[in-house]
Amino acid sequence: MTPFELAQPASLAEAIALLDPNDTAIRPIAGGTALMLMMKMGLYEPQKLISLRGIEPRYSEVAATADGGLRIGAVTPLRQLEMLPVVAERAPVIAHTMRRLSNVRVRNVARLGGHLAHGDPHLDLPPVLIALGATLAIAGPNGERTIAVEDLFQGYLETALAPDELIVEVNVPAAAAHTAYLKHTTRSADDWPALGIAVALDMQGDSVSGARVAIGAATDTPRRLTSVEAALQGEALSDAAINRAGEAAAAEAEVHSDARGSAAYKRELIRVFTGRTIRQATGREA
Amino acid sequence: MAETSTTTVGQSYGRLEGHAKVTGRADYIYNLRLPSMLHAKIHRSPIGHGRINSIDVSAAAAMPGVHMVVTGEDVKTVLPEPYYGPAFHDQPILALDKVRHFGEPVAAVLAADPHIAERAARLIVVDYEELPAVYDEIEALDSEAIVHEELKPAGTFADLKHLSGRRDTNVALDFHLRLGDADKAFAEAVHVFEHTFRTQQTMHTPFEPIVAIADVTHDRAIIHSSTQSPSFVRYELSRLLGWPESNVRVRTGHLGGGFGAKVYVKVEALALALSMLAHRPVRVAQTMEEQFYTITKHPSTFRIRSAVDDDGRIVGRKCEVWWNGGAYADIGPRVTQKSGFTAAGPYDIENIDIDSFALYTNRPPAGALRGFGIPQLVWAYESHTDIIARELGIDPIVFRKRNILRDGRPQAVGTIVKDGEFEPVLDETARRLGWDRPYDKGEGAKRRGRGVAIGFKASISPTTSSAIVSVNADGSVIVYCSTVDMGQGSDTAMAQIAAEVLDIPLDRIRVVNPDTDVTPYDMSTLGSRSTFHMGHAVRLAAADAKEKLVAMAEEVGMPEGSNAPLPELFIKKFGMRAGTIVGTANFKPDYAPTDPETGLSPNATPFWMIGATGAEVEVDTETGQFTILRMINVCDVGKPINPAVVETQLSGAAVMQLGFTTTERMILENGQLTNPSLADYKVPGIFDMPVIMENGMIEAEQHNGPFGAKGAGESGTFGVSPAIANAIEDAVGVRIAEMPITAEAIFRALRAKDGAPLEED
Repeated sequence: MTPFELAQPASLAEAIALLDPNDTAIRPIAGGTALMLMMKMGLYEPQKLISLRGIEPRYSEVAATADGGLRIGAVTPLRQLEMLPVVAERAPVIAHTMRRLSNVRVRNVARLGGHLAHGDPHLDLPPVLIALGATLAIAGPNGERTIAVEDLFQGYLETALAPDELIVEVNVPAAAAHTAYLKHTTRSADDWPALGIAVALDMQGDSVSGARVAIGAATDTPRRLTSVEAALQGEALSDAAINRAGEAAAAEAEVHSDARGSAAYKRELIRVFTGRTIRQATGREA
Repeated sequence: MAETSTTTVGQSYGRLEGHAKVTGRADYIYNLRLPSMLHAKIHRSPIGHGRINSIDVSAAAAMPGVHMVVTGEDVKTVLPEPYYGPAFHDQPILALDKVRHFGEPVAAVLAADPHIAERAARLIVVDYEELPAVYDEIEALDSEAIVHEELKPAGTFADLKHLSGRRDTNVALDFHLRLGDADKAFAEAVHVFEHTFRTQQTMHTPFEPIVAIADVTHDRAIIHSSTQSPSFVRYELSRLLGWPESNVRVRTGHLGGGFGAKVYVKVEALALALSMLAHRPVRVAQTMEEQFYTITKHPSTFRIRSAVDDDGRIVGRKCEVWWNGGAYADIGPRVTQKSGFTAAGPYDIENIDIDSFALYTNRPPAGALRGFGIPQLVWAYESHTDIIARELGIDPIVFRKRNILRDGRPQAVGTIVKDGEFEPVLDETARRLGWDRPYDKGEGAKRRGRGVAIGFKASISPTTSSAIVSVNADGSVIVYCSTVDMGQGSDTAMAQIAAEVLDIPLDRIRVVNPDTDVTPYDMSTLGSRSTFHMGHAVRLAAADAKEKLVAMAEEVGMPEGSNAPLPELFIKKFGMRAGTIVGTANFKPDYAPTDPETGLSPNATPFWMIGATGAEVEVDTETGQFTILRMINVCDVGKPINPAVVETQLSGAAVMQLGFTTTERMILENGQLTNPSLADYKVPGIFDMPVIMENGMIEAEQHNGPFGAKGAGESGTFGVSPAIANAIEDAVGVRIAEMPITAEAIFRALRAKDGAPLEED
């Protein structure tokens, strides 16, 4: 790793001012868990990193919102999402996801904003936040804008963020009644997943009245599986319906072979884990 | 603090260095910095095989802060024959004319600032003419790609001399063993079985990476190294220099792991050459990532055939093993041979053929890794043995016991087994598993099964250890030996042995870190040889000192058998607290060389190491994912010097092998290693541990061992991989023949069994 300058601004405005949209050698850094790996491998050599750790404390805070959801500052360490009672209460699927997200050393250091802005599909929270219908507040030199989390991811390590924009807040609406996230690693338990499936369901009686299903890790970008959502809509969750949802997921998700498994195997995993995640969300036996 | 017991051997004392380690004060060479030291960073080959047309170092040399850029040709100006290696002098300090593997060192940049050196190293431009490359050990047998045009065996081993000058082959060494008449046994056999098994390339991942600092003046070379082999490094560097060994000093501290990665020369020769060129101390410190290019574990292919009679007796076995040694031989030829002769397994088989081949390929070099080839062999012969038992409808434990080696019978190499607790180890594994009780194999998607496997190893022989034990005038003691404590607890064991012999408390003993100016010769810290060999040397040196103390007591007129305190004795002799009593010893066990025709020897090893694993697994048939519910490791450990330390050796070895069995694999694509980092090369973590893990020790006197002890650092690795594969077959009826055992491999096998094979991609 080669040396670089580290700027430590005390405010968001100052941090944004330090970013230069025309200079790729200047990058923001929050926890640094992903960026440092790339720098160690020589894949990225920054001239200057802008640390976000010193900006206003409210960007590291988690608050309950009036509508029953959560507002999470982008510089919040992942470990906070694991430990804070308000997260477990408002969005238990987020707290649950933390237990198997990488390892505790990474969770202590990594920040939510960086976790999303990195644009790596092999991360756990993107599909969870997509299923929950979360939105992002993004700040740049011209003020703030809001986008859905699912619109952030444009390609492998590519996002909708301009080089001088920063994610400042994640807004999670009141969670659906039935949520779950299951991930599957094919090497060690703390490896990046081969796939992750997130499900958020609302039920009316025995039938699904609303479904959001998202996939991560197996596809180029974390994304919704709309054919699965359609297959579930209005269905009583019979074994047959759940199997149809799994088949739809395997058909819709575009997967590639890599060190974590062949594409054919991943399609099988997607089929099986879509069903298991739905069952987990609705308290059925897996 | 250690209790002042007078019988220290056999007690579970805490490690002598424990306090220093947990408080961050232990001395590791990686932390050492010398005044005016330069850092070296290495430019490495981006291809698997190629001729070097030119190297342009101008941009790197021009970078401000760069002291010097060094290529292989520059090395030749100070070391005219810059090739090293324990078995073959085949490895250049920096590439000369050719590169033979991805990641091979081509040039080095020296700078006071390591970041500048690293950045400059990337500016070096090398023009290569790519050559055909070979990465597979079977393809290497008759490939057009030739890794080394001519074999260059080191003079060290008499039995390699015939290979000298052999050309246009990738076979570095072939070892053959012929016992009885295997052809006849197969011709007459009722049942014949044949299977082929493969293992993958993995790495040691010591958490203190490989490091050396060299400080060379006109007639003196001082090498600070994280080496397991200080004596060998001194020998090899003095050979390169043409200097007496007394002009070369190799010292080390505690090692943050070794596992075979730090045996023989690794970066010491490069550090030496760079210091000679720069006239400054030079530090060559690898990153974790660079270790993947430096030394690995052999991938292997093993075709094994058995002839079995109607009573379930194995009457003949034919073993063909191909070891993928990568681009440089390192100690691979010794693995081929010394492990090769156990390839037929711990069974009493009268007719055996073994053919074992060391192959050069364009992979990063392979050497010794905790087990010295044994885990690759056990993977094959214990998978094969289990398949035979199941196909014959014989209980796998019963089948093994029907064929197991017993004391008094010759092992395949012709050496009569003595103190080999094969059957007790197997029995204890079965007992702990509850083998004779019915087992709930589950239903629905989750199926359970259990399996066992047993393996063994001969101690590499003959090798020599020397020790010095000195008694200070206050009665405290210093042990000088070149056994390297890399986490295995050898310092504590050696101190316990000296304390036992001299009858003094453990806390009055200091074990000196290896330093060839100070500590005497030792072959190397490898192959679980230290407790036996150095244990004897320390025991004998302490006894020598004790004899001198007795003589001194006599001389000053103390009554015979007097137990007067040692300080009194010294004062009586020297008139004040003065003087030193020094005991010395060399130890080399008896040995008979193997016959070059038959490969047989009446005394091939001073002792046998035996390890078995029992595993219970649960397989998710919808995904192939498996959980190890229970892993039981039982080993013949002789009489342990320190039972608690021995147990951690068993569990550590088993967990390490668990990684090689399930999660670890170096991935090569077009010759390029795509996962040389801990982010992408997955060492198992705490959540990958078996739900339950047990370690069992068969404590049995090793008649010729120090206090009945034998080595046990590798035994825990032996049975792990095939026990898991055997349990998987028991659970779901599919056989995995290639490591690592992945969920996808199991899933694919299940689908194939159901007649619905999964498409390739």
